[in-house]
Amino acid sequence: MIGATVTLTVNGRDRIIAVPVDETLLVTLRERLGLTGAKLGCNQGVCGACTVLVDGRPVRGCLALSINCEGAAITTIEGLGEGRSLSLLQQAFVAAGAVQCGFCTSGMLLAATALLAEKPAASVEEIRAGLAGNICRCTGYRKIIDAVLAVATGRGP
Amino acid sequence: MTGIAFHLPDTIEEAVGLLVADPESRCLAGGATLVAMMNAGLMQPSGLISLRRVAALHGIERSADGWVRIGAMTRHCQTAASGLLEGGHRVVRHAASVIASPPVRNMGTIGGAVAFADPAADYLPALVAADAEIEIVGSNGPRRLVAEAFFLDWYQTALEPGELIVAVHLPPGPPRAVGRYNKLSRVEGDYATASVAVVLEMERGICSRIALAVGACGPKPIRLSESERALVGGRLDEDALAIAGGLLADAADPVDDVRASADYRRLVIPRLVRRAVRSAATEFR
Repeated sequence: MIGATVTLTVNGRDRIIAVPVDETLLVTLRERLGLTGAKLGCNQGVCGACTVLVDGRPVRGCLALSINCEGAAITTIEGLGEGRSLSLLQQAFVAAGAVQCGFCTSGMLLAATALLAEKPAASVEEIRAGLAGNICRCTGYRKIIDAVLAVATGRGP
Repeated sequence: MTGIAFHLPDTIEEAVGLLVADPESRCLAGGATLVAMMNAGLMQPSGLISLRRVAALHGIERSADGWVRIGAMTRHCQTAASGLLEGGHRVVRHAASVIASPPVRNMGTIGGAVAFADPAADYLPALVAADAEIEIVGSNGPRRLVAEAFFLDWYQTALEPGELIVAVHLPPGPPRAVGRYNKLSRVEGDYATASVAVVLEMERGICSRIALAVGACGPKPIRLSESERALVGGRLDEDALAIAGGLLADAADPVDDVRASADYRRLVIPRLVRRAVRSAATEFR
């Protein structure tokens, strides 16, 4: 087959989409579904700006081919909160001032969401290891780690 | 761009048939390297054969005789978390745990990493030190090669057109052996600047068996019997470690690249060897 339709559950909603074989999940999300929260950075899986959750696990949107994701449940930053309200972790990022330019933020939040789902009381070391694949060029990471730690220690907003 | 065929075989035989039918097609495992190469315009396969539905390629099993089979589609995160990789096999588990970053470990597979054969990839020296065997299937049937014979040159393996990697097999090592993988990298998540994989067994303070492989310092992992002989039967003292590390540094064929100069790599090999062996030896105290 040359291209095909795939069924993805994106942020809880079933989407049937026709995609070329070599289209990455990142391109499908951004350009076909209008979900531009995941960012195109290096397109090599290194920077982490495109990180989304596939079946609850953080993966690189730029390294996954949409056609190979049939039946997967995808969570993007647009699906993190409830309706217009932010998730606890998102609120913690705001409270800690963990956002500067914002380019890495959606990837950071999704990687951190997956980390806390697995380790709700993650230590600083576990948070640093869990976010090691997400590069931020503004903050120096300190406030991002503070925000995740606030939720992990129950000091969240 | 649009002419790429996509296949989803259910069996190894079906996948091999598709590979043989179109030699310009490529197997898609986790995508961590193949899709990155496609994104960079460095690879333009005529077809993609997704292996995700081939059940025989998934999972880690340990047989009664102590061999461990890691299916080619096993993701790095699964290998890193596997309780079946104990003793000397820990060298493979340890290497898996430091590949790139958690999201990449959720995608990349051992088969993909072995097939790509980046000399700086963490699995390569670990598999050589563990005496791993690579199981391959092609239209002529299955064959098995030891890792040392499988990795041939920069990004080159013994894999022939129309063949695919089915599994990595780890032979039972000495029951009391320990395995460690020591990686020197610029930042966490980077490829190794240089790395050392060690499988060590000691009896009453004497090294009874050791396997040492150096990664990222030449076209393929470096393992030397002279270097290991310099350590077996001794107490892993400073002089013996310097000899073993020096032999490996002499045999290395590193290049200057963005991570380090060739000279720097030669300089650090003996130090990394000492650190890796000492670290493994602490488990015997």
